[in-house]
Amino acid sequence: MENLLDIQFLIESFPAIISRLPITIGIAVGSLILSLVIGVITALIKIYRVPVLRVISSIYVSFIRGTPLLVQLYLVFYGIPKVIYFLQIEYGWLQSADVNSIAPEVYALLAFSINLGAYLSETIRSAIESVDRGQFEAAKAIGMTPAQMMLKIIFPQALAVAIPNLGNMFITTIKDTALVFIIGVVDIMGQAKILGSRGLAFFEVYIAVSIVYWILCIVVERLLVKIEKRARRYERGIAS
Amino acid sequence: MIKLENIHKYYDSQHVLKGINVNVNKGEVVSILGPSGSGKSTLLRCINFLEEPTSGIVEISDKRVDASSASKADIFSLRTSTGMVFQQYNLFKNLTVLQNVMIGLTNVKHIKKDEAKKTSLEILEKVGLTNRLNHYPAQLSGGQQQRVGIARALALNPEVLLFDEPTSSLDPELVDEVLATIRAVADTGKTMFIVTHELNFAREISDRVVFMEDGIIVEEGTAEQMFNHPKMERTKQFLSKATRNN
Repeated sequence: MENLLDIQFLIESFPAIISRLPITIGIAVGSLILSLVIGVITALIKIYRVPVLRVISSIYVSFIRGTPLLVQLYLVFYGIPKVIYFLQIEYGWLQSADVNSIAPEVYALLAFSINLGAYLSETIRSAIESVDRGQFEAAKAIGMTPAQMMLKIIFPQALAVAIPNLGNMFITTIKDTALVFIIGVVDIMGQAKILGSRGLAFFEVYIAVSIVYWILCIVVERLLVKIEKRARRYERGIAS
Repeated sequence: MIKLENIHKYYDSQHVLKGINVNVNKGEVVSILGPSGSGKSTLLRCINFLEEPTSGIVEISDKRVDASSASKADIFSLRTSTGMVFQQYNLFKNLTVLQNVMIGLTNVKHIKKDEAKKTSLEILEKVGLTNRLNHYPAQLSGGQQQRVGIARALALNPEVLLFDEPTSSLDPELVDEVLATIRAVADTGKTMFIVTHELNFAREISDRVVFMEDGIIVEEGTAEQMFNHPKMERTKQFLSKATRNN
């Protein structure tokens, strides 16, 4: 009798796949943090209309939005070592860097940060611009520096506005990390592929890995709801 | 004490302040009155450079700032020697009442947290809000928010308080509590500039009244002079009409 699924194999593939969860989560969370930095910087460049940098940052955003993530991953993976090597040979820079010892996880992290940063840039810009002008004025009027104003007053309020959007993008990023195996990072998807070819049971391992992604995303969604509540706690009405 | 010399302000080609000169002595309460669009709020906001004057000089105590060469440090000095109360309160929405009052002390004046808290509590006591310390602005009535706004402005102990239509966004029944708070502050001898439409209040509280229209000062004088014996026909017209409406 022909079996649709080798249930035994499917179940047994879980531990190995889950053991790679730190890689998937690490790349997603790491690139979220780095991309927030990139996003805030590019958003501020746009808001304050910084000459030259403004043009560079809009080319960056346009390029990232206009090219596939897969291509960007390859560009980073093949491009950065070449650039480093070139700088070492031609100019003697970066001598301490050993191109061959850079882990593929690093390239994955960079590529995803650069990608997500471009998307966050617009979200963060519009969130900052949605903060009431009066908040900026009140901060200036008491003598806060622009940095204090941003960190203490504007960013916390902008974050509350941006969280639903940021959350969606973060979840998209978690799922997009499934691409990293193509540059040799063994994440949960990579592990599933390895197991699948080993046992010639691809359907089973892909079912297993899809369940892992699904549960991960559900957990993240729950967390995001909590974070949003906390970030917006000051918007609640009259306290009893 | 405060001197505004020949303040001009253009928005593009629109000339909204056309050479304003005002002198205010220490402890004086000066009201700026005038119809909408006369430039009175803009003038107030030029004092702390929330609006940068196109030209002119702002002088507070011994600090003299020429708009044409104002540095960041000059602007910072004007802002820390003034406290502003806004029409829309503009409390920091993400901070509690206590944090709103404390933040200038801890972050701008770099005073230790304990001491800043003590000072803030004393000021909040004066405006009668010690029972709302951990509330967020969204949890307060407009009148309460504006009293916090006044406390926040007072916290830095500025040389002069600037009130930009402090009661214009309030429900009528909440106006009195805010006016009472402003009156109490005036009684402590603070130098104050008030832009307001509350003419009766201006008449009662002001040492001096400035009447503006179309970016110029039409007339200024003591409250008594201005309300009872205005020299200019336009002043008379405006003050009498508005008084009837009150």
